[in-house]
Order: sequence, then C-alpha cells, then structure tokens
Amino acid sequence: MNVPPRKNVLLAPVTVTPTKPLTPSHLKGLLWTDVMFRATAPLAAVTYRYSHTTYHVTEQTVGFWEYLDRTHGETDYTQLSEEEIGELYVRHRAEGRPQSAEVLRPYREAVEHGGWVHPASERMLRLWAGHYERLGMHDPGLREHQPPGLGLEEMVERLGTVGLVLDQRQCGGPVYLDLTRYGMPLRRIVTADGRPNYLACALRELLPLVPWYDEVVLLYDRELDADYRLLHRVLTSLGPPVRRVPIGRVPIEGKITSARHGGWRDHTAGALLRASDATDAAAGADGDDALRLGMRLYFIATLGPGQQQSFRHDLLRHCLTVAARLLRRSRSAAGAGDLAGALEPHRRGHAYVDPYRLACSLLGKGRPAPDPSLLSAVFL
Amino acid sequence: MTPFPLSSAALLKSAADRVRSARPELADGLDLSSAQALRTVRAGLHGPRTAPADEALAVVVIRRLDLPRWVCETCAFALALAPGEREAWRRSFTRTVYLAGSPANLRERFAFAHVAGDDSVAWAGPAPGAETAALRRLLKAFEAAHELTAQRSATVTVPGRPGTRPPAHRELYIATARVSVTGALVHLNHLLAEAVLDGLIGPGDRLTLRFVPRLTGLGAQLALLRVDTDVHRPDELQAYAALTTEV
Repeated sequence: MNVPPRKNVLLAPVTVTPTKPLTPSHLKGLLWTDVMFRATAPLAAVTYRYSHTTYHVTEQTVGFWEYLDRTHGETDYTQLSEEEIGELYVRHRAEGRPQSAEVLRPYREAVEHGGWVHPASERMLRLWAGHYERLGMHDPGLREHQPPGLGLEEMVERLGTVGLVLDQRQCGGPVYLDLTRYGMPLRRIVTADGRPNYLACALRELLPLVPWYDEVVLLYDRELDADYRLLHRVLTSLGPPVRRVPIGRVPIEGKITSARHGGWRDHTAGALLRASDATDAAAGADGDDALRLGMRLYFIATLGPGQQQSFRHDLLRHCLTVAARLLRRSRSAAGAGDLAGALEPHRRGHAYVDPYRLACSLLGKGRPAPDPSLLSAVFL
Repeated sequence: MTPFPLSSAALLKSAADRVRSARPELADGLDLSSAQALRTVRAGLHGPRTAPADEALAVVVIRRLDLPRWVCETCAFALALAPGEREAWRRSFTRTVYLAGSPANLRERFAFAHVAGDDSVAWAGPAPGAETAALRRLLKAFEAAHELTAQRSATVTVPGRPGTRPPAHRELYIATARVSVTGALVHLNHLLAEAVLDGLIGPGDRLTLRFVPRLTGLGAQLALLRVDTDVHRPDELQAYAALTTEV
C-alpha cells in the first residue's frame, strides 16, 4: 500500500501581546489554533510557531513597558493579577502620549540583543501559562526566547531582492511593503523614525520559515484581514500554498472592542475559569476534562468562525454540561481507535484539519458517542 | 516680465501676482495688500470646503528622489501639457499631491502623463480629482521629513527640442534651513510649473540649482519667486525658491 508522505505544515497564528488579560476573543483564537494543531498532528508534521519574542518590539508592547518604568518605577509585578496589569495598560493607552523611537530604543535593543522581557509581561506570560495548562492547551513556548530568523534590515533587503519593498529612509521617509503591482495598497511597515509594526515583525519571522514547509496556515483576527491578504501574497510567492483562516472576534454585549479600552471585566480567561469552577460540570468527576471540552465546544462549535454572537455566560455553562455528558457517553463507547480515520474527513483538500468542522462533528442528536482517543488527542 | 531684487515688497507683490494670474476674475475683489490678508485669501482658496471637485490636480508618484533629475522631469511634464490642461492647472494654483510609490509597479494599471527615464518618478493629471482617485487610494502621501541638505550646485538641461527662442540659462535658488525635503518639493514644483506655464522655462533651457540656507540678500536679478509663510514668523512672508533672469 502506498502511504502518502506526511506533509510539513506550519501554523502561524497572530500572537496576543502580553499587556492585557486574555479576553473571549483571544481565547477563541487560541483554542481554535490548539484544536487545529492537535488534530493535524496525527496526520502531518505540524509546527506551531508562536513567538512572543518576535512581537515584543512592536510599539504596543515596548510602549507599555516604557510607560510602566516612567510612571511606576520599582514595582513588584509578581504580586499583580492579569486584570491589574491590564488596568495599567488601559491607562497607558488612555494617556495617548506619543513615544519617540528614541525613547523606546533601549527596550527594543534589550529584546533584540538579550531576549529581555519586562517583569510585567513576564508575570502576564506566567499567568497565561497557567491558563494554558488548565485548559489543556499546548504551550508553544510562551516564555521561551524565540527570535525571528531575520533582522529588520535583512528582512527589508530580502523583500528588496524580489521588488516588494519601497524604502524611502534615505530622505527621512518610511519603509513600505509594496504589492501595488498586484493592485494591493501600499502598506507602511517601518515608520520614518524607525519603528516597525507587527507586519514587519511577521515578515522577519515568516520569510525565512515558509520555504521549509509544504503548507502554511495563517490564523488571525478578522479585523486584520487587509494586512493578512498582503502577507498571504508575499508568502505565496515563496513557494508553498498559504491558507488564510480569519477568526471572528467575540463581541461583549454586542460590541467588538479592543482590549486596550478595557471593558473585559468578568470576561477574562481568569474570570471564566473561576466562574466555571462553580458549575455542576466542574463539580463532577470529569473536572477539568469537562472544562476543556466544554470551552472548545463553546468557542469553536457554538460561536463558529464569524462574529455575530455576543459572549454568553449561560451558553458557555450549557456547553460545559454538554461536555460532561459527552465524556460520560464516550467512556462507555467501544472506540474504534482509528484516530487518523476520524480526522481525515475534516481536512477538505488541505493538509490542516478544520477545527470548526471537527468540533461540530461531536454535536447533534443521534451522533455516536465520541471516540475516547479522539477526545484525549484533540479536545482534553 | 521686469526683473526685480529681493525685498519684502517683492515678496508681497509676488504672492499677490500669483493670485491675480491664476484667478484674475477674483483678484479685484480680494485684499492682497498685506501678508496677513494674503494668508486669509489663501485659506479661503485652498480650504477643503471650497476646493471644487473638478479642480485640476496633478499627482507625482515618487520612488526615489534625486533633486536635479526631479527638477528636469518636472519641467518636461509641465511642457508636455495640452493648452486646456495648462489653463485648468494654473487656475488651481498648480495644485499637486506627492505620493510614495513605484512607477514601474503601477504602469500596467495606471496611465501616467509622464514617467522619468529611470522610473524614479511619474506624473498623472492634472485632472479633476476623481480621475486619480484610484491611484491615490492605493498609495500613501510621500513622507520625507529630513531637512533639505545643501548639495553642490548642479546644472541641468530641460528636455526637448528648443522652440522659436534660443535656449536660456537661469539660476534656480532653493532655501534649505528648516525646509524639509517634502517642503522643498512643494515650493520647487509650484515655481517650476508656473515658470513653464508662463513661458519662462522652455525646452533646451539650462537651470543651475543653488542651495542656500535662506534667500535673503540675493543679489541676483529675479524673474519669479516662490513665496510662502516665513518659517520663523507666521505673519511674514519668505522666499523659498527663486528663478533668476538669464545669466
């Protein structure tokens, strides 16, 4: 029998900057990626690239660090909760004070040359690692030093060789990603005073990685669609098929707002985990298994790829109950044990497994009890 | 055109003459008697609410800037305009927007009126804004915040076969102190375009670019000035660029 060779698949989700608590929108993206990673792993050699190091140099993060040091001085961040650090971030964004490239330079240099992380973000990442553990999510190296393969200048040079960059720094201008020949708008990636944005960071990371893979999957917020279309076009020119998987945010009471404005109280990952502890499902024998499966059923199967439905505590609780029931049924099921066979139908012509289709396949009246090996490999 | 030396009266007259020649029908009703009055007039003429949608607008797409070459190509662009375009552009005070972009990447999608031989710069229009709206949506405003650095003086020859009059040689002075590269482009563009439209610059003419911190005390006989608000004194005028009489 001919066994097709396992493909090398790269999952490259947009990262969440460790400056504010994880919100339902963040959790959705993270759970979506986790299920995609774990469901694809039995079928392909899959790499989950998620480097905070790459994105620390963006203004959002180093700007926050400079604000903290300027306004708070010596502070024991190890005692602060993610909500308390998030409140500081909201205050920083509300301050709206422009920070020059010069002011941020020591912070960028510390990241670039020493892998330094400000204690506030270090604390945030430690707390997140705890959430990942509790939710059964694969930790892609939250607290590891994972520098991008290219320096900023190398990246600009690499784009220059394929005619995709417009570099006007010699007369005091910015650097642009230039895909205008494809009818796509010019996009600034480095400001005139030398500040890179997240797209510049993504290019530093992905340009050298992508040629090594047979398929690349970009997972990102729907709001970033215009930038990810550009990124998709650049990476496609390097060889492998690149798939875009936009994931809708989760509105809170009908509104999609950025975490920088706050408004996430009672909806942070920490708050949701605390609330779930009080549910019947969590109190049962399944404990964290029901929590893990229930969260995935809610954020993936129930909310789906769009962003129409606002977050609902009652629906999340309902999913935890459904999860506990599925787990009970699964334990008494025989289980064919054909994990690859169970996952294969959800690939649909690409190498990665579609998390939404897979999660939905567990639900619905008259469905057979889920195979325990599938649940433990992907959902628990 | 009578040659004149640089003086505050010359600055005011220059600025007022520019309004009169672009919009003669309005000039009689406007107060052009002082720098402050001129500023009010300019605000009224260029304000976003009053700029009509059919006003002629030129678009310059810049990939790389080499000032002497850009001076040459700007003249070539203005010289090639049809009479109707010249008239409309003059009436809009040779209004121009500067965008960052790579002409070579855009040529298939957009029809440019003129492209520099090395693809460093391209020109579209002058035309009503709608005609260049798609191009402007795709690109970003040209940013060049560096202060203009003085360069060695350079002489360029305006492209094209000389017409009925023999080629002339003039000096083109440019102020550099507290003038950004973008600012210098704006000043030079208006001066050169209007000099071409007025027949002061023609094919085959030679222009010697001279960079000075400020045009104060310029002994040369002047033919045309570019005047705007003084970098230090908002109520006064300053000459940012000047074209001399034949040397």
